[in-house]
Amino acid sequence: MTVTQELGAGRAVSGVEGAVAATPPLPPAIEAEGLGWTYAGRSKPAIEGLTFRLEPGRVLLVLGPSGSGKSTLARALAGLVPHVLPGTMRGRLVVGDLDVSRTPARLLGERIGLVFQDPDSQLVMSRVDDEVAFGLENRGWPLDVMRRRVLEALGQVGLAGFEARSTKTLSGGEKQRLAIADVLAAGPGLLILDEPTANLDPPGMHSTFEQLGELARRRDHTIVLIEHRLEAALPLVDDVLLIDDAGRQLAFSPAEEVGRGAIKLLERSGAWLPRAWQGAGAGAQHVATRQGSGQAGAMAVTAESVRVDYPRDESGLHVALKGVSLSVASGERVALVGPNGAGKSSLLFALAGLIRPATGRVAVRVGGSGTEGSGLVPRNCGVTAPSAGGGEMRDPARLPAREIARAIGLVFQDPELGFVATTARDEVAATVRALGSVRGGEDAKGCPDPAAAADEVLDHFGLGGLAGEDPFRLSQGEQRRLSLAALALRPPAVLLLDEPTFGLDRRGTDAVLDLLDDLRNAGQAQVLATHDPRLLPACDRVVALDRGRLVFDGPVDAFLAAPPYEPAEPWREGASTVASGAAAASASAPRVGRA
Amino acid sequence: MSLLPAPLQAVRPTFLTRTAPVARLVAGAAWLIASIVTLDPAVPARLILAAVVVLVLWSGLPLRRVPARLAPLGFAIASLTIFSILLSSTNGDRTMTTLIEVGPVRITWPAVSAGLSIGLRVLVIALTTLLVFGPSDPTRMADSLVQQWHLPDRFAYGTLAALGVAPFMASDWTTIGAARRLRGLAPGGPVGRIRAAGGMLVVMLVAAIRRAERMALAMDARGFDCGLRRTHFRPVHTTWRDLLTVGVALGVAVAAIVLPR
Repeated sequence: MTVTQELGAGRAVSGVEGAVAATPPLPPAIEAEGLGWTYAGRSKPAIEGLTFRLEPGRVLLVLGPSGSGKSTLARALAGLVPHVLPGTMRGRLVVGDLDVSRTPARLLGERIGLVFQDPDSQLVMSRVDDEVAFGLENRGWPLDVMRRRVLEALGQVGLAGFEARSTKTLSGGEKQRLAIADVLAAGPGLLILDEPTANLDPPGMHSTFEQLGELARRRDHTIVLIEHRLEAALPLVDDVLLIDDAGRQLAFSPAEEVGRGAIKLLERSGAWLPRAWQGAGAGAQHVATRQGSGQAGAMAVTAESVRVDYPRDESGLHVALKGVSLSVASGERVALVGPNGAGKSSLLFALAGLIRPATGRVAVRVGGSGTEGSGLVPRNCGVTAPSAGGGEMRDPARLPAREIARAIGLVFQDPELGFVATTARDEVAATVRALGSVRGGEDAKGCPDPAAAADEVLDHFGLGGLAGEDPFRLSQGEQRRLSLAALALRPPAVLLLDEPTFGLDRRGTDAVLDLLDDLRNAGQAQVLATHDPRLLPACDRVVALDRGRLVFDGPVDAFLAAPPYEPAEPWREGASTVASGAAAASASAPRVGRA
Repeated sequence: MSLLPAPLQAVRPTFLTRTAPVARLVAGAAWLIASIVTLDPAVPARLILAAVVVLVLWSGLPLRRVPARLAPLGFAIASLTIFSILLSSTNGDRTMTTLIEVGPVRITWPAVSAGLSIGLRVLVIALTTLLVFGPSDPTRMADSLVQQWHLPDRFAYGTLAALGVAPFMASDWTTIGAARRLRGLAPGGPVGRIRAAGGMLVVMLVAAIRRAERMALAMDARGFDCGLRRTHFRPVHTTWRDLLTVGVALGVAVAAIVLPR
């Protein structure tokens, strides 16, 4: 078929009412033949030599480590590569009867829908029905057809009755289901989802997967899913495509027939693996066998009946924290969990003294046990570990700059927002340069210059060759490690972390947890806010928040056995995994989490 | 955790919420022009009176939250007025009537009159902005600009998308500042603060550009500006309400200027 003929066909679909109403009877097959793509300005291809055929109506899960080109494949299937993004394409990609590289993007859009990771940067309009209609308006659909399709699409994702709601008032899961409705409205045969639940809390993830399962069962769409939450994704999936870290295909087969060799290769590439595969060729994954330290020293940070208010225009006074009490000891790692809006970030900010509680108080230990023995500080720096439990408890909001950096560190979900320098070396040396290299204002006696110390730290964090690089140009995993390396020359006694493994593959997650283990073993207190149940077994304790209140503070196993939420189901996914994992695990790894 | 307040929007349907946004834009422009054509403080004072009447009766805005919203402006208005009065050149003119004379400071009636006029103008701008943008959400404004004034889609809806991500810039700014304080890099003194703000701005802009790129890609994936003629899910038509709004606003603007004191 020529391009002009396809153009005509596309017009008919968008213009004639009858043709629009029904989803095409048979969703398209995908045929890739030696598919490769190199972004303009890069020497290495993002994907290379992908060759597979996905039959109509089947669900494909794409597995691979960070940087394996999974998102590039999603963009290629949607025609953004090569029509919107610059670069060089090789091979052939056919969706249904359309050769993607030779079909105008506007035709592809009606046949192929793409849902992105971040709900907040893909919703354009402020009202739900306007949002769904946006893609239809762009393609010139008539008003009466739009009105009908908007209602149908919202119904398909369980958002019937939400038409007049403001998109800002939706939960994360609702936003992501709305994004799915946005692309479903145009009636595409192929639906591509690029990590649709990565930004969601457990209830949001649960509801999104329920909806996806519903769509998959109907077989009206061919679906391509890129997802790190493998245990939730795998039950929906027919076929899997395995890609290695260079964007090359390792295997394409039905999910239950993946060969041991391919699984081994995928594991070696650093990707997350579904738990079911770990017996078949892959060993138990490192992160899953981590445990809490089981030891705790003196209190490092305490919060007593902390109440934090935010003025909010929509609902009058909005209470962010309602009397939360918490204490974390040095050498202890506490997981902070809860749905979005439960107050996790507010609690982290309050513990760091960045927001003042309206009532209650926060205190951190200053000048007491530190983390100098961690091996992260160059030994010739003349720093000695003080006796544990010394020092005094002070209000972090009142600490002067030179003491706060020693007392408290905070690693943000987006590491870029924390960068202060233009090279990785300066990033690590920044605090020491500003405040001197030894704690408490002592002289920097016998200490190498900050740049040399920074190089040593970068080596330790696996960033040795990147000392002169701009932090903004590093990969996601490298940025994450750099944000921890930046704290190494003056390790804080308390480290607060907001989703420290967000977007990382298994290898990246392990690297971050290794570094955190070193710091914790040296006596650092850690509070780790996360939605990822895979991290819980690596913590000593779980603190759970719900709508600004502390609803649980206790051992990890107790939390997973009876999550303090209603409904508890989304939170239990971790629990059942731990239970069945423990049954299968060897004696050396008694607490196997989901992996 | 955004600390930026959401824009004040109508909470109940009223006369103004049923008008087309561009009609309110024209009406508002008439008042703004009227408030700056003379230095007589009576003109902005009359427009403020009219604006308050419209605000209470026909805007649909949650009135209890209006004073809090305007409070930050109070400082700006007060300082503008006071400095305009103190620094007015007429204070040195001995032919003008003296109001107060304390040592070297002399204030004349014309200085007070001009100062008040400048301060009141700011209040006119603030109230008019509420009446123009408050009765319907920004999407309606974009729809109206595209359908009635034929502004390019890319401009109108692109701006709309940018408005949607603006609150994230505010929370990014908070985060960037927090990161620097905790690393012991909180700047001391005004010079240090300004230099640090420059570095923070670079980081915030990088984050904003990344966000904008993601948004643009998502819009492209949904066929935005793909070359097809766009249709409208929410048609906007000019009605008698729009004509009445513009007519009355013009009438009030003229009356505010020409009415004798």
